[in-house]
Amino acid sequence: MASYLIRRLLIGSLTLLLITMLIYALIRSMPGDPSMIDTEGLTRRISQEDYDLARKAYGLDKTWYLAYFEWLADVARFDFGNSFYYKLPVGDVISQRIGPTLLLSVTSLVLAYLLSIPLGLYSTARSGRTDERLLSTGLYVLYSMPAFVMALLLQSFFAVRLRDTWLGLPLLGMHSQGYDLMSPWEQTLDLFSHMVLPVFCFTYGALAYESRFIRSNMQEVIRQDYIRTARAKGVGPIRVLWHHAFRNTLIPFVTLIGLTLPALLSGAVILEQIFTWPGMGSLMFQSIGTRDYPVIMGLVLLFSIIALSGQLLADILYTVVDPRVTYS
Amino acid sequence: MRCLASHLALAYLLILAVVAGCTSGSDVAQSPQSDTADARGEAAVDKTVSPAGISELKTYTDKDGLKTLIAPFTPPKLEELEKTVEWVEQPVVDTMQRLEDHLREQPTPNDDEAALSLRNDGAENNRKILAALDRLPENEGEVNWEAAITRHWRGDARTTNPVFYNSVEDGDISVLLHSYLFTFDWELKPFPDKAVVESWHSSKDGLYDKVVLRKDLTWSDGTPFTAHDVAFTFRTIMNPDVPALAVRSGTDELKWVEAYDDWTVVYFHKQALATNAVNLNFPTIPQHVYEKSLAEDPTLQKSPYHVEQQNNPVCSGAYTVARRQRGQEMVLRRRESYYLHDGKQVRDKPFFREVRFRVIEDGNVALLALKSGEVHDLEMNSEQWVSQTSSADFYEENTKATGLEWLYFAFEWNCASQYFDDRRVRMAMSYAFDHDEMLNVILYGLNEPCTGIFHPTAWMASKTPKAPFKQDLDKAEELLEAAGWDFRDGDNVRSKLIDGRKVPFDFTMITTNVPERVRICNLLAQNLNRIGIKCAVKPLERVTHTQLMVDKEFDATFGGWGTGTDPDLSENIWSTSAIDGGRNWIGYSNRYVDGLYQLAKQVESATEAREQIVKEFELDKIGVSPSATRAEAYGKIDDLLYADQPYTFLFYRSAFYGFNKQLRGYMFSPRGPYHYSPGFFSVWMTMQ
Repeated sequence: MASYLIRRLLIGSLTLLLITMLIYALIRSMPGDPSMIDTEGLTRRISQEDYDLARKAYGLDKTWYLAYFEWLADVARFDFGNSFYYKLPVGDVISQRIGPTLLLSVTSLVLAYLLSIPLGLYSTARSGRTDERLLSTGLYVLYSMPAFVMALLLQSFFAVRLRDTWLGLPLLGMHSQGYDLMSPWEQTLDLFSHMVLPVFCFTYGALAYESRFIRSNMQEVIRQDYIRTARAKGVGPIRVLWHHAFRNTLIPFVTLIGLTLPALLSGAVILEQIFTWPGMGSLMFQSIGTRDYPVIMGLVLLFSIIALSGQLLADILYTVVDPRVTYS
Repeated sequence: MRCLASHLALAYLLILAVVAGCTSGSDVAQSPQSDTADARGEAAVDKTVSPAGISELKTYTDKDGLKTLIAPFTPPKLEELEKTVEWVEQPVVDTMQRLEDHLREQPTPNDDEAALSLRNDGAENNRKILAALDRLPENEGEVNWEAAITRHWRGDARTTNPVFYNSVEDGDISVLLHSYLFTFDWELKPFPDKAVVESWHSSKDGLYDKVVLRKDLTWSDGTPFTAHDVAFTFRTIMNPDVPALAVRSGTDELKWVEAYDDWTVVYFHKQALATNAVNLNFPTIPQHVYEKSLAEDPTLQKSPYHVEQQNNPVCSGAYTVARRQRGQEMVLRRRESYYLHDGKQVRDKPFFREVRFRVIEDGNVALLALKSGEVHDLEMNSEQWVSQTSSADFYEENTKATGLEWLYFAFEWNCASQYFDDRRVRMAMSYAFDHDEMLNVILYGLNEPCTGIFHPTAWMASKTPKAPFKQDLDKAEELLEAAGWDFRDGDNVRSKLIDGRKVPFDFTMITTNVPERVRICNLLAQNLNRIGIKCAVKPLERVTHTQLMVDKEFDATFGGWGTGTDPDLSENIWSTSAIDGGRNWIGYSNRYVDGLYQLAKQVESATEAREQIVKEFELDKIGVSPSATRAEAYGKIDDLLYADQPYTFLFYRSAFYGFNKQLRGYMFSPRGPYHYSPGFFSVWMTMQ
């Protein structure tokens, strides 16, 4: 196990190096750079020398590989540079976004799993009956509804039409005006009310997908001989589903969780934009648009580490959920 | 190996995610900003900056040992200046008073209630709404002085430091946080602001401007706002290590700025030009805040001290930064020490206690925010104006108004490309396009057609009436054939023999990825297809689009330019010298146009220089004499561009705004309702 872990970590480090180098090369070769954006408001001519000075101010006078190794050396000293756009240390810019992103993604993830497991099991138990078909149809409808359309419909209904009623919900953002003056209880309520619509939009697609995922896996498992044996021995239907069948569907489920982990931090660009939620997705999107190389690289590094860790974690969890899996 | 392969696949996916993240677009609009700077040059030593890969640039060292781009200059003593210079007093303007006088001259408006009950479904109701709601308060009791306004922003501001101002959002906060000595009104006339300036004198020879500042303006930390701040800012802008490129362009036309005492500042011009006043409009930063930290961090952005200044800047304007959440909002609070001095009111009290800028990138959500009262104003697109703001749910809390902006859009033809180097081909493009369909279908009949670079009502526009182009495919084909673009060898695409090689007329039109623009370009492609020309439309992310233009790697593009405060600023788009380093990305070159820009810069008394220019550029051949006025010179440029059609001029895009019903005092200028003086400062909220 230890040698497996060391091997995986070494390969992971190599992959990380490769990812960051490729991304750095790519973003430096994208058309446009921060100095060009800085000169968009020019009303007069600018000399090549001035352009060169502006490029130098952003460190663009160096070839991309030299600049990459400088960046790498800085990262080794935990210096991620300053955001070109926000004029703040990259660590500060990203850390401001992590909390709001996790607030949505973790809430959404927990909700999705908490609801999808019973829904998936219920669908399996009631397979083929009217209530199951209705539930499945409803979930399919949800799954096929684009989140941004749903978001606008919900906003229009709850934040505009019902705004003066007790069902009214905030349109966007994380806090109301005057948040700082509220009591802790009021602040919690305010935050909660702002989270309702985005969390719903983040969750319903995953809920539909995961409950169908569980159901389809369960359908395969409940046809196995050992399930029939358990039933023949007189084990109750709930115990059969939960103890005998569901545990055996955990391996693909764990894989799914491993793949979900990076999404916890990466955020969702469109939903974050619609709800003006200060998350990581919109930060990444905005950083690309403004050619904010230090922030892009900081985010790429973070996402890569999380993605690689997620895969490693999933592999390790296999050994927990399936004793047959070993990494000796 | 399987593991490595999956990691490589992950790397690939991440790369795809980054590359795919490029969309969106916005206007290419010419900023009004313009200024210059310099530094003291006593004992200055010439030197060059020549790090690896950097072009050599001549710089000097100022008295503080800092780099400067200004050649050494020792200003004369004030007494000498006063003896030798003949000063002419110039008006200092109270912008609010000026607006009040202007509004008093307008026809008697409807009452507010009647205006607010109107549906803005045509020009007449728009006029009635604006006539009633552009008013200033009749008495103090009408104003809600404790009001907080929430304005909509499509993107966040980049900076609170005015020397780095480079976007519309930066401009929005810059005028609220910082005092400008010079400003301009709704007619784009430049003048000193009475809120800052006591007096202004220009020298008769046009080489100097002397400004005496008011003694009752302080920075937000209580330090007096002085002439030394102005001179320091000039030197800072002209420090090549300070990345103030946008603000430096224009400011570098100045030779020197000298603070003779705390309140007297003199601007030294390189030449006596009619455009000199435009170059005085640079912002001011506090010397006492930056003078010690500048040497250590000339970027003014990297050190923790400067980061703190970005977050909580020391301001000289009517507002200070109360709160800022990047990418979300910026909240400014009224500064009592701006309008009160020693307990007495010395300036107009700003109407809002708090100004909140809310960033909402998605246009649909922004409209919902207006409807729900989350924001108090919104600049809309044509589609929102026509189809999403006509129902009762919009008019419940809001009204809307539109005004003409001098922001024109055009197809821009790369004159250096093999397709568009011939005037006849460009003319054919203008005839081939279905202008009516664009105006009436794609743009809903809301925008007026454009025929040139200056709006017909502008003082600098040609007095020769020009008919907007209409689609005439026969004429277009005739022009193409005259230019050598024929159907050959039974092809259904036109081609031309260039250097013995058959070149099909198959080009790419690039544009930013904005649906309305893409539709207009697609209409052109359809029109051209009917006359045997293939046009591929390529929507691009904004920065990529600009980079292709800067690199001149395009055949044609769709874009727009907003008006500057002075027509001279358009030289950067049309003169031959602006092909390299300017905005003349299409490579247009016309000797007469170059000469006319030079002539228009000259003051009336510069007879010799004027004669020289007319002679050098042979302007007499096009009927221009040395005594031509600025308006005549720019009018002639307008005529020449119409005849050459380097652009197919399409339309002026109007400004479409939704306003909360509680707001009053908005008046549209050629730069919209806010971007002039008093602009936003005339907007107020009623008590109801």
